[in-house]
Amino acid sequence: MKIDRRCFLSFVIGGAAGTTLSPLPWKLMDDSSIWTQMWPWTPVPEDGEISYVDSACSLCSGGCGITVRKIEERAVKIEGMKDHPVNDGGICPLGLSGLQLLYGPRRVKHPLKKVGDRGSGKWAKISWDSAIAEIVKILGKLRSNNQSHTVGLISGSDRGTVPSLFRRFLTVYGSPNLMRTPSLQDSYEIVLNLMHGGQALPGFDFENADFILSFGSGIIDGWGSPVRMIRANSIWRNTGAKVIQIDPRLSNTAAKSDKWFPINPGTEAALALGLSHVIIKEDLYHSDFVDNYSVGFGEWKSLLREDYPPEKVAKITGIDELTIVDLARKFARASKPIAICGRGRGNTPGSLNEFMAVHALNALVGNINKTGGVWVVADPDYIDWTEPKLDAKAVSGMQKERLDGAGSKTYPFTRYSLNRLPAVISSGETYPLQALFVSGANPLYTMSDTMAVREAFAKIPFIVSFSSYMNETSQLADFILPNHTCLERYEDIPTPFGFPRPVIGLSRPVVEPQFNTAHVGDVIIKMAKEMGGSIAGAFPWDNYEACLKETLGDRWDTLIKKGFWSDSRFKAPSWNGSFDTPSGKFEFANNTKGFLPQFKPVGIEGDETLYPLILIPYDLTRLANSFIGAPPFVIKTLEDTVIKANDVFIEINPETAKALRLREGQYALLSTPKGQARVKVHWFEGILPGVIAMPTGLGHLGNDEFLDGKGVNYNQLVGPVEDPGTGLDKAWGIRAKLAKA
Amino acid sequence: MDSALIPKGVKRCPLWQFALFIGAVSAVLGWGVYAMLLCWFKGLNQTNMNDYYGFALWIWADLAVIAIGGGAFFTGLLKYIFGKDDLKNIINYAVLIGFICYSSALLILAIDIGQPLRGWFIFWHANVHSMLTEVAFCLTCYFGVLTIEYIPLILENRQIDRVPFFHHLSHNMHEIMAVFAATGAFLSFFHQGSLGGVAGVLFGRPFAFREGLLVWPWTFFLFTWSAAACGPCFTILVTKITEAVTRKKLVKDNAIELLAKISGWMILTYIIAKTIDTWYWAKVLAPSKGLTMMDFYSNNPLYGIWILITEIVICGFVPAFILITKKGRKNSLALWIAVTLAVVGVCLNRWVMVLQVLAIPVMTFDIWAMYFPSWQEIATTILPVAYGIILIALSYRYLPVFPNEAELNPLEPLPVEDQEPSELLGDQERELIPAEA
Amino acid sequence: MGKEQKGPKTKRFGMVIDLDKCTGCGSCMVACMAENNVPFRKDESNKFLSLTWLRIYKLTNGKPFPDTDICYLPRPCMHCEGHGGHSPCVSVCPAVATDYSDETGIVSQIYTRCFGCRYCMASCPYHARYFNWWDPVWPDGMEKYLSPNVSPRMRGVVEKCSFCYHRYQLAKERIFIEGRSEVEEDEYQTSCAQACPARAITFGDLNNPKHAVYKKKKSPNGFRLLERLGTNPKIYYVSSREWVRRAGDNYLKGEGKLKESVQHG
Ligand SMILES: Nc1nc2c(c(=O)[nH]1)N[C@H]1C(S)=C(S)[C@@H](COP(=O)(O)OP(=O)(O)OC[C@H]3O[C@@H](n4cnc5c(=O)[nH]c(N)nc54)[C@H](O)[C@@H]3O)O[C@H]1N2
Ligand SMILES: Nc1nc2c(c(=O)[nH]1)N[C@H]1C(S)=C(S)[C@@H](COP(=O)(O)OP(=O)(O)OC[C@H]3O[C@@H](n4cnc5c(=O)[nH]c(N)nc54)[C@H](O)[C@@H]3O)O[C@H]1N2
Ligand code: SF4
Ligand code: SF4
Ligand code: SF4
Ligand code: SF4
Ligand code: SF4
Repeated sequence: MKIDRRCFLSFVIGGAAGTTLSPLPWKLMDDSSIWTQMWPWTPVPEDGEISYVDSACSLCSGGCGITVRKIEERAVKIEGMKDHPVNDGGICPLGLSGLQLLYGPRRVKHPLKKVGDRGSGKWAKISWDSAIAEIVKILGKLRSNNQSHTVGLISGSDRGTVPSLFRRFLTVYGSPNLMRTPSLQDSYEIVLNLMHGGQALPGFDFENADFILSFGSGIIDGWGSPVRMIRANSIWRNTGAKVIQIDPRLSNTAAKSDKWFPINPGTEAALALGLSHVIIKEDLYHSDFVDNYSVGFGEWKSLLREDYPPEKVAKITGIDELTIVDLARKFARASKPIAICGRGRGNTPGSLNEFMAVHALNALVGNINKTGGVWVVADPDYIDWTEPKLDAKAVSGMQKERLDGAGSKTYPFTRYSLNRLPAVISSGETYPLQALFVSGANPLYTMSDTMAVREAFAKIPFIVSFSSYMNETSQLADFILPNHTCLERYEDIPTPFGFPRPVIGLSRPVVEPQFNTAHVGDVIIKMAKEMGGSIAGAFPWDNYEACLKETLGDRWDTLIKKGFWSDSRFKAPSWNGSFDTPSGKFEFANNTKGFLPQFKPVGIEGDETLYPLILIPYDLTRLANSFIGAPPFVIKTLEDTVIKANDVFIEINPETAKALRLREGQYALLSTPKGQARVKVHWFEGILPGVIAMPTGLGHLGNDEFLDGKGVNYNQLVGPVEDPGTGLDKAWGIRAKLAKA
Repeated sequence: MDSALIPKGVKRCPLWQFALFIGAVSAVLGWGVYAMLLCWFKGLNQTNMNDYYGFALWIWADLAVIAIGGGAFFTGLLKYIFGKDDLKNIINYAVLIGFICYSSALLILAIDIGQPLRGWFIFWHANVHSMLTEVAFCLTCYFGVLTIEYIPLILENRQIDRVPFFHHLSHNMHEIMAVFAATGAFLSFFHQGSLGGVAGVLFGRPFAFREGLLVWPWTFFLFTWSAAACGPCFTILVTKITEAVTRKKLVKDNAIELLAKISGWMILTYIIAKTIDTWYWAKVLAPSKGLTMMDFYSNNPLYGIWILITEIVICGFVPAFILITKKGRKNSLALWIAVTLAVVGVCLNRWVMVLQVLAIPVMTFDIWAMYFPSWQEIATTILPVAYGIILIALSYRYLPVFPNEAELNPLEPLPVEDQEPSELLGDQERELIPAEA
Repeated sequence: MGKEQKGPKTKRFGMVIDLDKCTGCGSCMVACMAENNVPFRKDESNKFLSLTWLRIYKLTNGKPFPDTDICYLPRPCMHCEGHGGHSPCVSVCPAVATDYSDETGIVSQIYTRCFGCRYCMASCPYHARYFNWWDPVWPDGMEKYLSPNVSPRMRGVVEKCSFCYHRYQLAKERIFIEGRSEVEEDEYQTSCAQACPARAITFGDLNNPKHAVYKKKKSPNGFRLLERLGTNPKIYYVSSREWVRRAGDNYLKGEGKLKESVQHG
């Protein structure tokens, strides 16, 4: 066979053309483009009708309104509710991630009963009926043994219908031991009680204020109602209001403020008193308010004159004299200045002296119950149930002293003091706690000195958790009775902390319950009915929904229609007759009640020579730090200088780091009197030398694989420091040391 | 055993030795193939690449092998178009090396893309504005050309050549080789250039961005030039290595020296152009974007100014001066050093032009990106090396790659006592035919 | 790509982000992930591998205590216009898997077209593009929240902020049904802008004098990132702090005061 050029060319061209014309390459090409986008493991979300449901978020106490977008029966996106008085369309990262919690692996999908050892993580599914029957049996036994008072409840909140149902249940059952998880709310309530009189919450009309003096409050880091505070911060940018942040660390709030003054941690009260000293000395105070609507001023004034001149305060706080004088003048000359406190997110109550000293500034400039000032917002009055009838056992149980000592002679003004509970249990001095219910709280994570809390709780024979999600506390429980999540249930959301007007939000079922869960309200009612007698009698409602509807009365229709209810007629009370104190006036000091705002150094734990550094916590909006751990989206937003793989960073001033020979990113062993942790070092110029800071909200265990084991729980490294007058925890940090690891 | 396949008049090692060698290299190849399959089936998470370092070892290897594979087109250009007939003795090997380089480049590309099954989108949905489209088209076409250039060599295998069809096919192909050489040179000019363009058009990356001529940035021309300059050095280097390994002289000095001399002048002119380019970039371009030259080098231990000095002086001017002087070319050690430096230089240039580009932060608050390849990336990058060695070994053993080999290494029967027993055995079947003149 | 177009018919969607208001809270990041079916993994701390169409950068002024300052800067895709739609990434994509829309000014990304060469990533100085190194996997049950308006991406392709383009499509559908011709400002808002508690992000048509961004972009404190490169981005930032504005671009030592930001188109 001879091949000439023609033959060769036709061979080549023919071959190419033949292959091309055959269906083979085309089919393969088509297939490959289809295959590569239709891998069976890449989900194809089903399409369908879009609808929106208005509801309220209760992942924290912020009280935001939300609008949930649905496709048929699936919830696909949570958005902030437009025109909601609290958040007006805005929403925080946690709220946005709500669907990851609803549909996520952390859900407790069925009532569970512990099998095997406590905390071993071994559970058996149990039906609702048997679970409730078993619990009722135990409660019945305790009550018949006259031990009803040994049943306790830890609740994340004490307002709204669900906590009220719990309170009612405990009352008719016969236990005074309802404990609310601690926060700045505890201190503010006492401040208002002492200085204004009565039981109320402070409302801050931030939106109309023009000068905000924050003693370490994380205005945009989760203090108060987080979304509302961020909104207020933006309003200040528009109106030109000034924000001054007093903070040992350049927090996000400090960075956004107009002026940041680093202060020696724990000396905020001294600064507040120093400012008052200047204001009084220079006659800048509101004489009408002080002269006509207050008492105790003279007494307090002489204390200030003696003990808090700027030169002395400068030494204590590390803020120079001129600054103090200047700041005092600016505060007093502003037309609507507000001073606030409660460090960071406000998770620790703090020292009463500090809160009073700061709040006294507001009174000094007369910015009380005025537009742009601090208001007194009474507890919501819509829960107006008939007084329950108590049987003899209940009466005798209710007469017992509370375990945490709140309301006792030692702590007469304190309502709850959960931080004292572990020590009380461990000391065994009073009566032992026989059963503990936990709802809307995760004390085994959020309480300081976590190890001690764990040891104390281990002594409680019977623990029931109502958590929708697996968490540290549920891990230790004997029963988990999973509540519906806030996207599956009805619940009223009362006015969030700090909000100046009464407002009620309504959580409503956005989707059908996804699992075999039950509304905690229904469970309480059911338990009561099974207990029978006067207990059953106190719960006339068929179920929670009926109770809620009846309770809200004509507000219900508004809530269903608008998603929230707000009191449009509400006005800040005037100075006349608004003070419920014995004097009927604002009280700067009160001898009979034994208070006088002053600075008493809050000693923190640890020996200075052993622990040369000071460890303080810091809060981030990007890191949920309530009873609910951060969902995957939230964790994803964290910077790599907060957490890297599983290692948390502590922030340290480069000067301090150099002295300790710790490089950026290096491992170090962090020790405090309470514990140790392996951390990484992050050099941060914005922190006071000698102070180190650690983010809160990390170091979870037993939640889900996206959260567990990431970082260290700050609470594990710190212990409570008891405020003598209130029994509240006033620790703002702890002594620490860092060594190369 | 395989003596019937071995070209006439040359001596090859015994088959078992050859098999052992191929076996060893195949093990490395197998390792590479395993890594390649991992990348295909598990995805690019098998690499240490990331969103900052989205191009990495592979892309560098790709650009580098294409640059050093440039010896094929440039030698072809010199021989077929400029009539440098002395180069006929090295042209086969240049083509083979080029073929290896380009097939490797295509293979690496097929691993490097996130959706290998959609690789053909680059042709089907071609974006004419993209330098990468230009690269893909020219690269593929040029690979076709190289294949056509390589085929006649295969057909010259003793046994294949016996088949009249293949004999005539090969003859016909030889006749039109000049056309392919010209096409190859044309295509190479564009794809080498467009590879340079890949970096040069990145106006968001002031380290790479260059202005230029018509639609092409200066890097377009610098890449073509440097490939033409340094590609032949790689051909020489591989030839020298092959000679060292086989312990034979395979190519006559005149061919090597001619290639070295032309290379030398090319490198010199290139490096002068590159210096001017660098100077203009450092003095005019970068400052116009608010950056000084040292912003791209300082502040980082790896990407220090040493890179620029190494590339331009040590791997640029030094080999250029060695190669343009007769003394340098003729000195074996100097030649070795020069071609090695030139090859290192062009590879370094490719690293810098695509990878340093990505490592450098452009936003003032961004950070330097660091990267170290995963074993999968290393294995897949070594894969083509193993493949190349195997193809060279096979070609060398069975194809008349070096037309001068028989002449330079006449076969004289060795004294019996000098022969190793194995060699004796292997020789039993061998036909001792005198070398063709 | 195409010619630079002007006039009322051509929209140039863009943002003005007020850095004085931005608190770095991260809502915009999560709003984007939730809206656009962005997957997540167990460890997201390697920011070079973490898919965040919108990433918040933390800027520092580099001064020692107590003069330190920080500022957060949210960075979505800039939807660069370059010159006449010649954005850095669009022009380089060999498969036209990303395109510049003359109608909206939005730089699109077509996942089913992209074959994962990552050239576009190399071209983007803002690191706005992300590669799917892994198959997206949602824990059992969690795929229920996935939105059908945005298709989940497959492994091996590049993705980035789309200005929530599907919301524009939905808005257009609505006006079509209602027989209107113009999508109003509030009818097309991005998920991040909508969620931001600080109202730091304003989104709209930069060409439309009726939209808030039109005026805001002209703020004397405004700047854009890396303007000097000629990327012509459609995200404007506003900051009253000189050091923040300066951090937006590279400047030589001698270059004194910042120039007024150049307005393109
Ligand atoms: N039931 C039903 N099925 C139909 C049809 C019908 O009428 N009814 N019509 C058929 C017809 S004619 C067609 S053309 C097809 C259309 O079918 P598809 O091509 O699936 O069209 P869409 O659902 O409109 O859009 C697909 C996806 O692209 C996303 N997208 C939008 N813009 C961009 C962008 O810029 N970049 C990227 N990467 N993604 C974007 C959208 O969010 C959406 O997730 O449907 C066909 N199927
Ligand atoms: N808002 C919005 N608009 C879109 C799109 C979108 O996703 N959203 N998608 C776009 C796309 S991709 C497409 S293809 C178009 C589709 O747009 P159209 O082509 O308008 O498609 P249909 O809505 O299916 O309408 C086709 C009409 O043909 C009729 N018909 C059915 N069979 C026959 C027949 O045998 N003979 C005749 N004469 N009529 C018949 C039907 O009853 C119907 O009225 O819409 C485009 N417009
Ligand atoms: S601030 Fe609290 S209530 Fe508001 S959205 Fe966030 S988690 Fe929900
Ligand atoms: S949501 Fe708003 S305030 Fe929060 S980080 Fe994003 S832009 Fe800033
Ligand atoms: S920011 Fe990056 S991805 Fe977005 S348009 Fe500009 S170059 Fe492209
Ligand atoms: S990675 Fe995809 S979008 Fe990017 S350039 Fe390549 S094909 Fe185009
Ligand atoms: S515009 Fe949409 S896609 Fe872009 S960052 Fe915002 S939410 Fe994400």
